[in-house]
Amino acid sequence: MKKLIEIEGLTKSFDDTLVLKSINLYIRENEFITLLGPSGCGKTTLLRILAGFESKDAGIVKFDGNIIDDIPPHERPINTVFQKYALFPHLDVYNNIAFGLKLKKMPKDDIEKAVKEALKLVKLEGFESRNVKTLSGGQQQRVAIARAVVNKPRLLLLDEPLAALDLKLRQDMQYELKEMQRALGITFVFVTHDQEEALTMSDTVVVMNQGEILQIGTPQDIYNEPKNKFIASFIGESNIIPGIMLKDYLVKFEGYEFECVDKGFDDNAEIEVVLRPEDIELKPVNGGINGVVTDIIFKGVHYEIIVDVNGREYIIHSTDPQLVGNKVSLSFDKEDIHVMLR
Amino acid sequence: MKSLRRLIYPYIAWLTVLIIIPFLFIVLATISTFHIFNSYTFRFTFDSLRFLTDPIFLNAFKNSIKFAGITTVICLAVGYPVAYFFANIKSKNKTLYVALLIVPIWSNMIVRIIAWENVFKPVSILNLFNLSFDMIGSDIAIIIAMVSMYLPFMIFPIYAVLDKMDHGYIEASRDLGANSFQSFYKVTLPLSLGGIVSGIIMTLLPAMTAFALPERIGGGTTILLGNLIEKEIFRGSFSTAATVSFVVMIVMLGFFMLIVRFDKEGETLL
Repeated sequence: MKKLIEIEGLTKSFDDTLVLKSINLYIRENEFITLLGPSGCGKTTLLRILAGFESKDAGIVKFDGNIIDDIPPHERPINTVFQKYALFPHLDVYNNIAFGLKLKKMPKDDIEKAVKEALKLVKLEGFESRNVKTLSGGQQQRVAIARAVVNKPRLLLLDEPLAALDLKLRQDMQYELKEMQRALGITFVFVTHDQEEALTMSDTVVVMNQGEILQIGTPQDIYNEPKNKFIASFIGESNIIPGIMLKDYLVKFEGYEFECVDKGFDDNAEIEVVLRPEDIELKPVNGGINGVVTDIIFKGVHYEIIVDVNGREYIIHSTDPQLVGNKVSLSFDKEDIHVMLR
Repeated sequence: MKSLRRLIYPYIAWLTVLIIIPFLFIVLATISTFHIFNSYTFRFTFDSLRFLTDPIFLNAFKNSIKFAGITTVICLAVGYPVAYFFANIKSKNKTLYVALLIVPIWSNMIVRIIAWENVFKPVSILNLFNLSFDMIGSDIAIIIAMVSMYLPFMIFPIYAVLDKMDHGYIEASRDLGANSFQSFYKVTLPLSLGGIVSGIIMTLLPAMTAFALPERIGGGTTILLGNLIEKEIFRGSFSTAATVSFVVMIVMLGFFMLIVRFDKEGETLL
């Protein structure tokens, strides 16, 4: 697919603090891409540079092959859904959504039609004359989305748009946003610190920390093959165990050798193994890694079981309960062993 | 809470003695031949209302509207950009700069009026710089002095609104395709309307009822409503003075209703 945005060596600092360290990234057309990272990782700054609200110190930002440094925000075919929505309090829902179209001098009938369509898209039909201050958080969110997409931007930027919503609403909106992106065929750049949001909606996840991109990949890649310890622990829970990569497809940790699917490391390289809690099965004691159940917590869908193996704690998610004190053996498939450099 | 409520009693006493009772006297004087030294001829009458069609009153009313109106328009035109500039200062010393705007109010208004009077007199300290004005009694002198008196009262309510305004609204409008000018008049300006209305009223009302300023700078020839009230009292006509006061009060009340309508939270009332 065509590259819509190309970013090379993008660098930005605020008062001596480097917030973006030579970022390289491209965004393809029609992609749902998520910038994921803890607060202060530079993801919002990157978004604001794309929108045109922030200047860069160095590097290249291209839109559709053209450098966009000198194009002010209002001339970019990019719209933003702001974290705090920023709906205009002096305008009703209709005039909020029509704001961009009126500036484009669109005929009145067309504006009316477009606003109606946008309201239908966000499931707020009939809300035209409502005062935005009387809307609930979820409704304001929807108006903010409608106000942005009604302009048919090439690129839609979403700055933690779901952060202020409650859990149920957030999950509904995740699904709806994904649907909307497919239906509209607009490229979405979504910024979040919520790994679940990132994994649920994205085609591509960009994991950032301290101004750097740590990994770019599909949600499956990021979850299953995290490149380093930070990503492994940031994306869901995981057990991270030091080990040695004896050779391709053979790894040693906890004193045992295991076949695995990873290759390309130096022989005898010091590595870390990621084992996801849901990938480990507890079996009666056998020849493998053995341990003692020290704690069990009911989590609804599953039990969270803590197993002590020679002083190292493993987290295991299982639908079968265990008794504290049980001696168990950890079992996993070779596909579940994820190796990353230490 | 209940014991704290008692702390309001001094204010209630002050309100009663100095505001409510005098106000009732004004009402009484408006609808009667009330005179403080002469109770023998007292009777109820609406005769004093006829004064409202007297050329003396109409002239003072016209002057008040004219000078207050021109002053307010100039204050708004000068004050809005100043308020906008100060609200957008991105310095740690912002509070200090804003405080500089208040400094003029710290010196007594009479002192400032007399200072202006001296500037406009032919013989003044300005002669040292080979400058000499002879402007006492001219409209322009009154307007210059009024603008300098009331400008801070225009700047502050507007500044208060602009300073509090979420920058996100401006970014949102830019994002939606507004250039900086469109962003200003479609978002910033309507959102600061409350401050503008407050500023207009804070300037217009004191300017309309200005008394000392036209007295000194106007050289006694330009009569505003405040001067008329004084003249009527010295002439011994309490009823006509009260009637003029009453008119001023009704005008003020009207403006106050306007402020409440535009600024429901009262955030711009300093």
